[in-house]
Amino acid sequence: MGREVGIVGVGQTHHSRRRTDVSQAGLVREAVDRALADANLSMEDIDTIVIATGPVLFAAVNQPEKWVVDAIGAQGKSVVRLTSGGGAGFAGALAGYYQVAGGYSERTLVVAYDKLSEGQLQYSISTLYDPFWGREFAVGIMGFSAAYWRARMDVLGHTEEAAAMVAAKNRNNAIKNPYAHQKKAVTVEDVLNSKPLCWPIKLLDVPPISDGAAAIVLASDKVAHHSTTRPAWIRGMAYCCEADNAPERSLMLSEPLAIASRQVYRAAGITNPRRQFDVVEVQEPYSCFELNYYESLGLCPPGQAADLVASGATQVDGDIPVNPSGGCMGANPIGAVGVIRLIEAATQVMGRNETHQIKDAKLALVQSGGGWANLRGCAVLSA
Amino acid sequence: MGLSQVAVLASAQTELRPAWRDAQHIDLISSVVTNVFKGTGLTLDDVDFVIDSGSDVLDGRSISNCGFLGALGAHHKEEARVEEDGLWGALYGVNKIRSGASQIGLIVAYSKPSESDIDLYWASMVEPFYQRPVGFGQKAALGIQAQRYLAAHGIKDDALAAIVAKRWADAAANSKASIGEVPDSAAVLAGAEAAWPLTELMISRPLDGAVAVLIGSGDVARRTGRPPVFITGMGTSMETHALAERTENKLDSVANAARMALGKAGWDSAAAADVIETSGSSVIGELLTFEGLGLAAEGKGADVASSDKINRSGGALPADPIMATGLVRLAEAAKQLSAPVKAGAAAPSKAIVHGTGGVAMQTNCVFTLEV
Amino acid sequence: MFYAPDTAPIDLPTFKSTISLPYTLTPGRAAGVFLAEMPNRRIVGARFADGTVIAPAQDFSPRDGEEPTELVQAPETGELTGFTRVNGVVLGLVRLDGCRNSFVHRILADLDQVKVGQRVAVQWAAGDEGTSILAIEGFVPAADAAVGEVKPLVGAAEPLGVINYAMALHYDHAYGPYYGRMFDELKENGVVMGVRGSNADEALLPPREIDDITHKRTGTWKACADTGTIRACSLINVEVYGQTRQVPYAYAEIVLDGASTKMIHVIEIDDLETAKQQIKPGARVRAVWTTGERRGAVSDIERFEVIEG
Repeated sequence: MGREVGIVGVGQTHHSRRRTDVSQAGLVREAVDRALADANLSMEDIDTIVIATGPVLFAAVNQPEKWVVDAIGAQGKSVVRLTSGGGAGFAGALAGYYQVAGGYSERTLVVAYDKLSEGQLQYSISTLYDPFWGREFAVGIMGFSAAYWRARMDVLGHTEEAAAMVAAKNRNNAIKNPYAHQKKAVTVEDVLNSKPLCWPIKLLDVPPISDGAAAIVLASDKVAHHSTTRPAWIRGMAYCCEADNAPERSLMLSEPLAIASRQVYRAAGITNPRRQFDVVEVQEPYSCFELNYYESLGLCPPGQAADLVASGATQVDGDIPVNPSGGCMGANPIGAVGVIRLIEAATQVMGRNETHQIKDAKLALVQSGGGWANLRGCAVLSA
Repeated sequence: MGLSQVAVLASAQTELRPAWRDAQHIDLISSVVTNVFKGTGLTLDDVDFVIDSGSDVLDGRSISNCGFLGALGAHHKEEARVEEDGLWGALYGVNKIRSGASQIGLIVAYSKPSESDIDLYWASMVEPFYQRPVGFGQKAALGIQAQRYLAAHGIKDDALAAIVAKRWADAAANSKASIGEVPDSAAVLAGAEAAWPLTELMISRPLDGAVAVLIGSGDVARRTGRPPVFITGMGTSMETHALAERTENKLDSVANAARMALGKAGWDSAAAADVIETSGSSVIGELLTFEGLGLAAEGKGADVASSDKINRSGGALPADPIMATGLVRLAEAAKQLSAPVKAGAAAPSKAIVHGTGGVAMQTNCVFTLEV
Repeated sequence: MFYAPDTAPIDLPTFKSTISLPYTLTPGRAAGVFLAEMPNRRIVGARFADGTVIAPAQDFSPRDGEEPTELVQAPETGELTGFTRVNGVVLGLVRLDGCRNSFVHRILADLDQVKVGQRVAVQWAAGDEGTSILAIEGFVPAADAAVGEVKPLVGAAEPLGVINYAMALHYDHAYGPYYGRMFDELKENGVVMGVRGSNADEALLPPREIDDITHKRTGTWKACADTGTIRACSLINVEVYGQTRQVPYAYAEIVLDGASTKMIHVIEIDDLETAKQQIKPGARVRAVWTTGERRGAVSDIERFEVIEG
C-alpha cells in the first residue's frame, strides 16, 4: 500500500422510519456536519468528496450527488458518486480510501445515504432482475435471499432457529444504539412465530425500512493527527464480485466474500480471525446472511455458523461479538449501511463507542455487500 | 513516498451508432472487454480490478453492473460502479494503481441511449420540487447557456455551424462513430431547433456504444512493448446544481479541474498539449471548455476551435455515448500519442483529456497524458 | 462481435418495458414552506446572514451550502436574465426584485417578445394547481411593473412533509441475436434454447456470446427440456407494490434438464405447510405452458409444477 489511511471523524443521523422534516439532501447535510465536527474540520479542509447511495429508483433522483452537492457546501470540489446496491456505502468508502492512498487527496469525506421512505423499496430492487428474464417473478431480493438460505438449511441441517438467534441478538443489541430506530426486545420464539414473508424469512428476520445518512472523514497519515490522536487505521479493504448466474455458484459460502477476506487478511496480517478480532460489524439485510458471513469470513469452519451463534460467542459478551450496534436490525438505510458499519467498527477501535464499547477493542472486522448477494467486501480497522 | 506511475496500456471501442438494435448491453461490453487485450500480451487473468461506468436510468435496471459482471470480465475480481462518465472510473482506477494495491485495471464505460427516453434521463437529474415540474432539463440549460454566451460575445450562428461541421467531418475520418452523411454549415443551421439558439446538431448526439481502457503501473507498461502513455495529472470539480448560480459564461469547474491536473503534472498551461480531446455537451459547452482549460481567453473559444490539436476525433458533438464519452476521449488521445507519425512530422508528446457530466456540464474532469 | 454458429440477428421488434412507481418525496423546510404557500399565492424566498435573498427558498445556499437565517416573501416581479425555447415552450431565468439569484420558470410569451433585462411579472395559474410550483403558470413581460420588494413572511404555512410524485420510465430493449433466437424458439416452437458454455455440454440460460465465468466464446445452441430441478426456492407470502401474482406462491430458481444455469419462475401452492415439504431444493419440476398463444416471453410458461413421486 502506498500511504496509510485512517478514519478520523464519523457522523450519522438518528435513523428513522420516515423523516418528513428534511429532504434527501438535508439528510446528507446532517451526517456531514456531524462527521466534520467530529474530525475538528470544516468543509474547506476537505480535498475530495465521495457520495454513495443505493439505486436511483429508491428516491427518483438520477445522479443525486448533483443535487446533494449544494446541501453539503461542496461546490467546486472533486465530487464523485459510487453506487453498488446495498454495498454502496462500503464501495464509496473504498473509492475514498484509494483517493487518499493513491495520493489524490489528503482528506476525503465519504457520505452515504438512502431515504427509503420516499419510494417503493421491493419494487425498486426487483428491477435488478433482467427485464426479459425473471423480473416479473422477483420480490426484491427477499425471494432470492430466502431461497439461498433454504438451500443452505437443507444441506447443512441448519434450522430456522439459527437465523432467529441472529435476529434476536441484533434486535436486542439495537436497543442500546442511540442511532437505531427499531428498538424492541424480542426472543428467538418471537422471531420464529412472526409472519412468514418469504419463507423461511419471517417478519422479524427482516430489518426495518429507514431514512438515514452516514459520513466518515478519511485522512492520510500525514494529516490524521490534526483531527484525532487515535484514528481508526484501515489495514486492509476489498470488495469483490461474482457473476450471479454461474453454473457452479455456491449457495453455501459467499465466494466473493471469501476472496475479499483472504486478500484483506493477508494485507492486515490476520491469520486467525476468530481469535484476533475484538469486534465484528456486518451488514445483514436478512438475518440468515449473518450465518453465511461467519463461515465466509472464517470466523468458524464452513457449515458451523449455527453452532457459532448458538454458542453465544457472537453476543456482546462473547469472545467474538458480531453487531453490538444491532446491525441492520436497528436501522437499514441501505446505501448508508456500509459506512454505518465502518463507523461502528471505527468508534470501537478508537475506544469511544458511545453506548456499546467492547472493552479494549483494538482490531475490528467490517463486512458489507449488495446486489444478489454477489457483491461482497470487508475491511480491517485497527487502533 | 513514491507512488506508482500509471499508464494507458490499450483501448477498444465498439462502433458508436445511433442504435445498436442487434446487440444488447452485454454484447457491446463483452466485445470491448475481449478486444482490449489484443496486441498487449496480457489477458483478462492479468487484470486485478474492473471499474465500470453506466447508468441505471439509461439501462432500465437497478444496480445494472450487477447483471453485466460476466460480460465485464469481473467475475471473482474487485469491481466498482462509478455512476458518472468513464473518465471518473479511470480516475478511480489510477488511484488504485498509484496506491500500490494493484497493477492492472480495466475501465469500461457504455450506454445504449437508444433504448430509453433521453429527455427523461435528464429530467430525472434535476431536483424534483422547483425545476423538474416546469420542464427544465439538459436542453433548456444548454439553450440558456448558449443564449447568454452568444449575447455576451457577439458570436454568430454561422461560426458555430462551421465548428460543428468540422467536428462531424473529423469524426467521419478519425473516429469509431457511425457518421453517414457529413453535414455542412448550412445543414447545421437548417436543423430543427433543439433549444433556441441551438439547433439539433449544435448539441451532442447521443449514441450507443462501449469503450474499454486498460491501465497499468509503469512497470507493466514498460513490459508491454509499446511506448507507455502515462497519466500524469487528474482533477475534477463539481459546481452548484443551480444553473443560475454558476458564474455566467464560464465553466469554473473546468478551470478547477484543469488547475488540479496541471498542478499534479507540473505543467504551466494546458497550451503545452499537442493533443486536446474534449467532451462538450453543446458547441457552446465546447467553447466554454477551451476557455476553462485556458486555451483561449473568455469569449474567444471559437478562435481555437479549428486548431488541428483539438478534437481530432471529432469530440462529443457528433458522438456522445453518454457515460462513455470522456473515456472515449482518453482512448482517442492515447492513440494519438502512441500512433506512428509521418516522416519529418513532430511526434506529439502531451495531451489533455476532458470529460463532463450533469446538466449543462455541472461536473468536469481533466487528465494530462504524456509519452 | 462474433456470433455462435446458427446465430443470425433476427429482426425482432424491441422489448417494451416500463418502470413506473409512486413516490412520497420530502421537500425539506424551505421548499416545503414554498410549496405550502403556493395556494396562498405567495412566493417564499430565503435570506442569509449577509442579508442577500434567494427565491425560490432553499435550505442551503447554492453558492456554499450556508443555511438561511429566515424565510421571506419575495415579490412577484423581476427581470429576465436568460432564456431559451424547447419544444415551443420558452423557459427563462428570472431574478425577482431584491433577490441575488434567478428562478427557472416558463416565460409566457413568444420568443421574439423576449429579451434579457426586460421586466416580468408572475402569472398565477387559473386552475387549482394545489401545492405545485405550477401554481405559478409562468412569468409574463410587464414593462411597466413597479419594482417589488422582499417582505417578511407573515404567518408562514407549515412546511409540506411530503409531496406525491410519480416516475415512469419507458424502455425499448434490443433483443440482440441471442435473446432474439431464444425468444423466437420459445414462441415458434415452444422450446427453451440456450448455448453451451465455453467448456461444457450443458447450456447457459439465458444464452449469450461470452461465458460469464471464463469470458470465452460460448458454444453451439442446445434445446433444453421443459423439466428440471429446483436449485433454490422460497415461499412468497408478502404483498408488495408491483407484484404480478397472488400470494402465496413459490419463487423458484430452476435448472432445466440440459442447462447449467437457472431460470427463475413460480410454482403455485395451496398452503405454506404442505409447500415446505414438497417444494424444496432438488425437487423435480415441469413447465406448465400457457394455453393461449405463445408470445415469445418467459410468461409463455405459465408456471412450473412439482413432478409427484
